[in-house]
Amino acid sequence: MAEADRDEKVSAGYRALGGEEPPRALDEAILAAARRRPAHWRVPLSVAAVLVLAVGVTLRMLPRQPDAESVALAPQVMQTPRPDAAAPAPPREQPRAEARARAAADVASAPAAEPAVGAAGAVAPSAMRAQVASKLANTELTPEAWLARIAELRKQGRAREAEESLAEFRKRHPDYKIPEPLR
Amino acid sequence: MLAYRQGDAGAFEALYARHRAPLFRFVLRSVKERALAEELYQEIWMRVIEARGRYSVQAKFTTWLYTIAHHRLADHWRKRGLRLVELEDADAPAHRSFEPEPRAEGRQDLQRLAAALAALPELQRAAFLLHEEGGMTLAEIAAATGASEEAAKSRLRYALARLREALDDGRS
Repeated sequence: MAEADRDEKVSAGYRALGGEEPPRALDEAILAAARRRPAHWRVPLSVAAVLVLAVGVTLRMLPRQPDAESVALAPQVMQTPRPDAAAPAPPREQPRAEARARAAADVASAPAAEPAVGAAGAVAPSAMRAQVASKLANTELTPEAWLARIAELRKQGRAREAEESLAEFRKRHPDYKIPEPLR
Repeated sequence: MLAYRQGDAGAFEALYARHRAPLFRFVLRSVKERALAEELYQEIWMRVIEARGRYSVQAKFTTWLYTIAHHRLADHWRKRGLRLVELEDADAPAHRSFEPEPRAEGRQDLQRLAAALAALPELQRAAFLLHEEGGMTLAEIAAATGASEEAAKSRLRYALARLREALDDGRS
């Protein structure tokens, strides 16, 4: 500010007019409003948390050596009704996006704050798992995991589905030596 | 402000503590009536809270805050049918005045100063108050009021000249 734009005498006179302040009640009301606002964006944050979780779950389910989790997952996959259960579908990307959107919607529609956190921790992962797993084609599994799935079908007495899946397996892995019990 | 935008309510409290009194006086001296000033003051902070997502790091918080405040006051003046008058209209009749009790000569000076401040056209008074209460530079005053720096400079100089005249009247 240039010298010509300052006038100390005026400034001093102005300051002498008084140092009024807002009433405390007004301060409190404004500060309370400010504290309330951040709580409203916890929902988007929880949605983001679910997305991170969803990506994590999806990555964990990508083809790899069968482990305790993928074996444990197999029955759940079979229990999920789907029209194409018998015929393995080619890998698709869209259902995963749908699953993520659905999981996010679940959380967004949940009551704010704590219930949303609960939903992120409980509802979303199971919904995700069912969605992603049900759409995960056998062809995306390792041969070992696929065979484990066939064995599980047989165990559940779903012989026809097991046979169809085995036939498909033979087409996909003609050179794979199928263990005796499954032949 | 960025910290508050990211969910740190404590950051808002620090900003509020720093700006509450100057902003309140800016509003009070702009509209005169205390009840109205309190209402507008609260609305300005609510706008700040609502608009926190639009705050950008390029803007100094003080400038941003007083830009919001100036807009709110401009809305108020418009609703009351008052024009934002420029230099040519500077002799418009005073429609408000502060009236401190005239107990001593010094007090009379202040009374004249308060009356002169109240009688200033809105934009000139805004320039002066932004300078005094907001501690803002000409460039910042220009940004907050949507004016050119030259216009801000003219307004501030005009306001200072009028206020100085009011103070000197008692000496002549």
